Amino acid sequence: MQVTIVGNSAAALSALEGFRERDQTASVTLVSAEPVPAYSRVLLPYYLRRRLSYEGLFIRQMSDYARLRVATEFGARVERVDPATCELELADGRRLGFDRLLLATGSSPARPPIPGLDGPGIHTLWTLDDATRLDSLFREGARVMVLGSGFVALQAAWAARQRGLQVIVVELLDQILPRVLDAAAARILHEQLLAYGVDVRTGTRTDGVETDHDGKVRVSTDGTGAFAVDAVIVATGARPNDGLLPECLEPGKPGIPVADTMETSVDGVFAAGDVTRGPTSAGGPREIHALWPTAVEQGRVAGANLAEAGVAYAGSLSMNVTEMFGLTVASLGRFVEDDGDDVFESRDLAGIRYLKLVSRAGVPVGAISLGDPEGAALLGRLRPFVRQRRLLPDLPTFLEGRDLGQRLVGRGAIKEKTPCA
Amino acid sequence: MRIVAVDPDSCVACRNCEYACAFRQSGDFDRRASHIRVNFYAEERACVPLTCMHCDDAWCLEVCPAAAISRDPETGAVQIDAARCAGCKMCLLACPFGNVHFDRTQGVSGKCDLCGGDPMCVRSCISGALRYIEADEAVDLRREVLDASLRRLLHLDKGEK
Amino acid sequence: MPPETEIQQTLCRMCDDRCGIDVHLEDGRIVDILGNKAHLWNRGRLCVKARAAVDMVYHADRILTPLKRTDEGWQQIPLEQALDEIAARLAAIREERGARSIGVWKGEAIGFGQQENIARRFAHAVGSPNYLSNDSMCYAARYFGFKLVAGAWPVPDLENAGCIVLWGANPPYAHPNMTQYITAARRKGATLVVVDPRLSAIARRADIHAAVRPGTDGALAWGLIHQLVTAGACDADFVEHHTVGFAKVVDYAKAFTAEAVQAETGVPAAAVRAIARAMQSAAPRVAAYVGNGLEHHENGVNNIRAIAMLDGLLGALDRAGGTFFKAELPLRDLTLYEDVPLKHLGPLGAGRFPVLYDLRRECHTMTAIEAILQDDPYPLRALIVTGANPASTNPNSTRVLEALKSLDLLVVRDLFMSETAAVADYVLPAASFLERTELHAHAKHQIVSVTRKVVSWPGVQGEYEFWHDLAARLGIGDYFPWEDETALNRWLLEPTGLTLEELEAHPEGVEYSPSLPGRWKDTGFDTPSGKVEFASQYLKDLGYDELPVYQSPAYRREPDAAYPFVLITGARKLLYLHSRFRNIPRFLTAIPGPEVEMHPDDSEALGVADGDTVRVTSRIGSLELPVKVMAPNEILPGSLQITHGWRDANVNLITHDDRFDPISGFPLMKSVEVRVERM
Repeated sequence: MQVTIVGNSAAALSALEGFRERDQTASVTLVSAEPVPAYSRVLLPYYLRRRLSYEGLFIRQMSDYARLRVATEFGARVERVDPATCELELADGRRLGFDRLLLATGSSPARPPIPGLDGPGIHTLWTLDDATRLDSLFREGARVMVLGSGFVALQAAWAARQRGLQVIVVELLDQILPRVLDAAAARILHEQLLAYGVDVRTGTRTDGVETDHDGKVRVSTDGTGAFAVDAVIVATGARPNDGLLPECLEPGKPGIPVADTMETSVDGVFAAGDVTRGPTSAGGPREIHALWPTAVEQGRVAGANLAEAGVAYAGSLSMNVTEMFGLTVASLGRFVEDDGDDVFESRDLAGIRYLKLVSRAGVPVGAISLGDPEGAALLGRLRPFVRQRRLLPDLPTFLEGRDLGQRLVGRGAIKEKTPCA
Repeated sequence: MRIVAVDPDSCVACRNCEYACAFRQSGDFDRRASHIRVNFYAEERACVPLTCMHCDDAWCLEVCPAAAISRDPETGAVQIDAARCAGCKMCLLACPFGNVHFDRTQGVSGKCDLCGGDPMCVRSCISGALRYIEADEAVDLRREVLDASLRRLLHLDKGEK
Repeated sequence: MPPETEIQQTLCRMCDDRCGIDVHLEDGRIVDILGNKAHLWNRGRLCVKARAAVDMVYHADRILTPLKRTDEGWQQIPLEQALDEIAARLAAIREERGARSIGVWKGEAIGFGQQENIARRFAHAVGSPNYLSNDSMCYAARYFGFKLVAGAWPVPDLENAGCIVLWGANPPYAHPNMTQYITAARRKGATLVVVDPRLSAIARRADIHAAVRPGTDGALAWGLIHQLVTAGACDADFVEHHTVGFAKVVDYAKAFTAEAVQAETGVPAAAVRAIARAMQSAAPRVAAYVGNGLEHHENGVNNIRAIAMLDGLLGALDRAGGTFFKAELPLRDLTLYEDVPLKHLGPLGAGRFPVLYDLRRECHTMTAIEAILQDDPYPLRALIVTGANPASTNPNSTRVLEALKSLDLLVVRDLFMSETAAVADYVLPAASFLERTELHAHAKHQIVSVTRKVVSWPGVQGEYEFWHDLAARLGIGDYFPWEDETALNRWLLEPTGLTLEELEAHPEGVEYSPSLPGRWKDTGFDTPSGKVEFASQYLKDLGYDELPVYQSPAYRREPDAAYPFVLITGARKLLYLHSRFRNIPRFLTAIPGPEVEMHPDDSEALGVADGDTVRVTSRIGSLELPVKVMAPNEILPGSLQITHGWRDANVNLITHDDRFDPISGFPLMKSVEVRVERM
C-alpha cells in the first residue's frame, strides 16, 4: 500500500507518526513544497525575537524521517490531485501514485484587499524564508508597521520591539487580538503594548500602501493619516491551502470539510490541520481552527485512520497561548459570553492579572488568562471540562486545584491510556 | 515502566518531596521550583501530592511546537529539553493536571523527569505516600488503601455526632 | 580527570532517628547523602534534613580552631594551649571550690548512649556528681510515666497495631521515618488517634483528632480508662494477676465521665467514646506513643502515667501490635556510678526532684542555673558544655545567659558560634556526626551499628579524644585508657559477643538480640512490685500521690485575666531541630523565621493579620514576632504556639524556669499563660 502525505508541519508529522505506530510495512511518501525538514511555524516569532536559534526552529532531522521509513520529496510542489487515477501531479512534471492520501497542506497568510499590498517592502511572517528575510530587516531604529493584531501580528510586533525597532500596529477592529481575547483582556494587553512603546492604532482602516523609490513604504490610513515605514508586516489571518482537490470542497466555503475520521468526501483522501473545516468539540457546524494543537490532534486521528484504526475525533477546541510583552496570554474555547452564561472574572489571582471563566449550566465553555504563566496551567486543567462538557466543581475548589485529588482517586493513581487529550 | 504512585491517604503534607525536588531543580528550598506539588486543605485535612504521571499518550509531548519534549526510553519519563524549549507554554495549557510549571528565571517549562530513574521525591518521602513502583503494583496499592479504609469504617465512628 | 567517587554507609545524626545513609563522596568531599535502602529503620527513605548535613559540614561559619575570649575579642589559639589552659583553670576551681563546683553539660546535638556516658564518666572522674543534660527537659518525663507504671519505656509496635494513639507527638517532623510505619499500619486497616491541641502533620491523617486543651491530656486518659472499665474492655486476667491498684483506678476514674472530660479537655464526649471504642475493638493491638508535648507541664508525669495505665488495662504491654519492651544492647558501662557514686556530694536537683536523679541519674539544669547565680545549694563555677545550647533552649533565657556569663569558666564545644558559645571563655571546635565513630543501638529493630568517620578536619577532636586529652591534663587519665574512639568502641562491644569488624561490614546494622515479646512473664515487670503499678508505693514513699491524680493546669485552675492566652512552645518544624540548623541557607528559604501561630478568631479579635507583628508577654518576659493565622481547625482558640530555637524572638525569653512538674522537675513550657498585644 502506498500512503502519501502532502505537507510537513504539525498535522503531517502527527499523522506520519500515528500511522507508523499502527503500520510498519506500508510505503509512505511525504511531499513538501519547502526544501527543508520540518520546522516550527508557530515559533518563527521566537526566532525573530532571538529567543530561539535558527537551528532550534527545526523540529525533525532527516534521521527522524529515516527512522519512520518515509520517502521524502522536499521542495516538490504539488499542482493538483487527480482523484481518478489516484495520482499527484508535481510542478516538475512528475506524477506520484497513492492508495491513500493525506492533505495536510496548511494555510497561507490572507492578504486584505488594500491597494499596494503586493509591492516590495511588504512582508508576511509565515515561512522560514519570511522569517530569515525579516531577520535581516530587523535593524535597530528601523520602523515597521504591523497590519493586523492577531497572535502572529503581535508576536512580530514584540519581536521587533525587543530588537529595538519602532513599531506601529494597525487594526481595523476596535480591539487587538479579537479572536483570542475579549474586550477587557484586550484592553489590558493594549496598555501593555503602549507601555512597551508600541504605537497601537485600533479601529483604523488602512487605505493603501505605496513603496517609494528610496524603499520607504508610505501608508495611508483613515483618521490618523499617512506615515512612512521601512517595512510592513501583513498578519491579518490565514486562508486554507485547499486548492489541490476542488472535488472535495463545498461551494463558497473555504477549507476542506472532513468527517470525524478526517476523511474528505473523496474516497481514500484524508485531510488534517489548517486546511480543514472540521468538527468542533462544542458540536454545531464545522469550523476552521487553524491552530497548532488542532493540527496535532487531527493529524493523530488521520494517521490512525490511514491505517484503518477507526478512530473518531472528538472535535477541536480552540486554544491559544503565548508570551507577549511580558504577559502570558492564554485562551480556551468560547470566552465571550452569551445570554444565559455564567461569568467568573478575577483581576488579581496569584499574579494572574485577568482571569475569566465562562460557563453554561455549570459546564465551562471557555476561559482567558492574562499574566502569570500559572494561568496557562489553570486553563490546562479546565480544558478537559470544556472538551468533555463536564460539570465543573464549585469554583474555589477548582481554582485551588482541589478537584485534582478527586480525579486522582478516581483514576486510582494509576497510569491510564490516553488520559490527556 | 515504573511510576511515582501517589497515596493521598498516607500523605501528611510534610513537604519533604517538594524541598527535595526544588533542591534538585534549583539548589535551594523554594517550593515553587518543585515539580511535585502537595496541596494541603486544612478544613478537610486533605493532602494531595500532584506529580506528572508520564501519560502513555502524553499530550504535552505531542503538542510541543519546539519538539522539546520527549520520552526517555529507559525510564519512560516524559521530559523537557530546556535547551530546545522556547518558553511558549503550550505544554502548560496541554496538561490536564497542572503538572508542568514555568521556570521564570530560565524562561522555560519544567516538569518531573523521574530524576533519571531514582526520583528524589520518593527518596525523601518519609510517610510512604510516594512510591516508585510498576504501574500494576500501583493497582495493588490502591486496592490495599481502599480495603483498609473499609476496615476502619467497620469499627470506627469519628465521634462527630 | 573525573573525580574519584565513593559511597560510605553510616548513620545520620541530624536528629535522633539515626537513619541509615549512603554518603556520596567525590575526591574525599561529601557531595550528597541519600537513604540506605538496606537499613531496617528508614528503608532508603530520608528527610531533607539529612541531605543538608553536607551544608552543615562544609558551612563557612564552622569553628575549626579553638577560640579564647580576650579583652580584644576572640583569639585563635592552638588546641594544646587551649586544653592546657582549660585544665589549669579547672584544676584551680576544683582546688578552691571543690570538685562539685564543676559541671558537665551534654546536649542533644551530640547524641546519647556512648557520648552521654563518656561525659558522665568525665564528671565523676573529676569528682563532680553534676552531669547535666537536655534530659532535664526531654524524654525523662515520658520515661518516668511508663517506667513507674510498667517498668520500662516501651517501643510501639506500630506496623502490627490495630489502633495507634499518639499523644503530643508529631512523628513527621520529630521522628520523620516513624511516619512510614504509621501509614503502613493504616494501610492494613489500623485506626489512628492523634491527641494534640494543634492539627499537627500527623493529625492530618488521624481518623480521630482529639484537640485537647494544652496540659489536659491526663483528663482524657482518665476518661478513656473510665470508658474501658465501664465497657468491660479491660484484660481481666492480666489486670488481676499482673497489676496493683486496679480498684483504686476504677474508683478514681468514676469522676471522668465523657461529659466531664469534654468540659475539661474540650474534646467532645462523643469523640471520647469513639476513641475508647476504637481502642477496645483493636485491643490488645493498641500502640500508644507519647511525645514531648506532654512533658513541659506542671502535671506531665501523671498525665503520662495515666496513658501508660491504658496499656496495662488493655493488656497491650509487650504484646504484638501493642508496645514492646526491647532488650538493651549489653555494652560495657562507661559511667562510674558504681565505682565513684558521689551521691553524698548532693547532685544538683537530686534533693528537689529525687525521681529525676534516682531513675535517670540526671541533675536538674534549672537548679544548676540557680546554683550558679545564688550559690544555692552550693556554688557551681565551671561548666563544660558539649553539643548543648542552653542559652537558647532552657527556659528563661535571660537568666540562663546571666548565669553562664557569671561562671568562672565556661567551655563550649560546638560546630558553630551558638548563643551559648558566644558567652564562653573557650570555644572548642567539635566534630560533626560524620567526623567521629561511635556505636548506636536501635531499640526498635534491636540492631547495633558503628558509624564511620567519613571526613575529618585537622585539629578538630572527636568527643572521646577531647575528654581523654583533658582528663590526662587533670591527672585522671587512668579513667580514659583507650587509645582512640575505635579502641573505646571495641572495649564497649566486648560483652555483646559482636566484633567491631562485623559491625563495620554491616552498616545497615547487626541484630544484637532477637525480639522476644512477653519476657515479663518470666521476669515480672521492672517495678518495685514486679507488676504493673497503677498505684505506686515508690512515689507514695517520696511524698507524692500513689495514683496519677489529675491536676488541672494552672491556666484553667486559676485563670488570670492579665494573661488570657495559653502558649504552647516547641512544636517541631520539619527543617529544624531545637536550636540547630538555623544557619543553613536553604532551610531559611523554606522557613525563614519564627512566628506565633494563632486561631483566626483570636487574630480577628486582636485586629491582626497574617504577618503582623505582636508582642507576647508572660510573667517571665516578652518578645515580638509575626503572627501566623492558622485554619480554624489547626489550633484551638485561645491557644498560641511558638517554636523554639530562633536567635531572634527566642521563645524561651518567656518560658518558666520557676514552675515545674513535681516528679520530673520539667519546666512549664507548653501551657504558659501569656497576653498578646498588637504592635
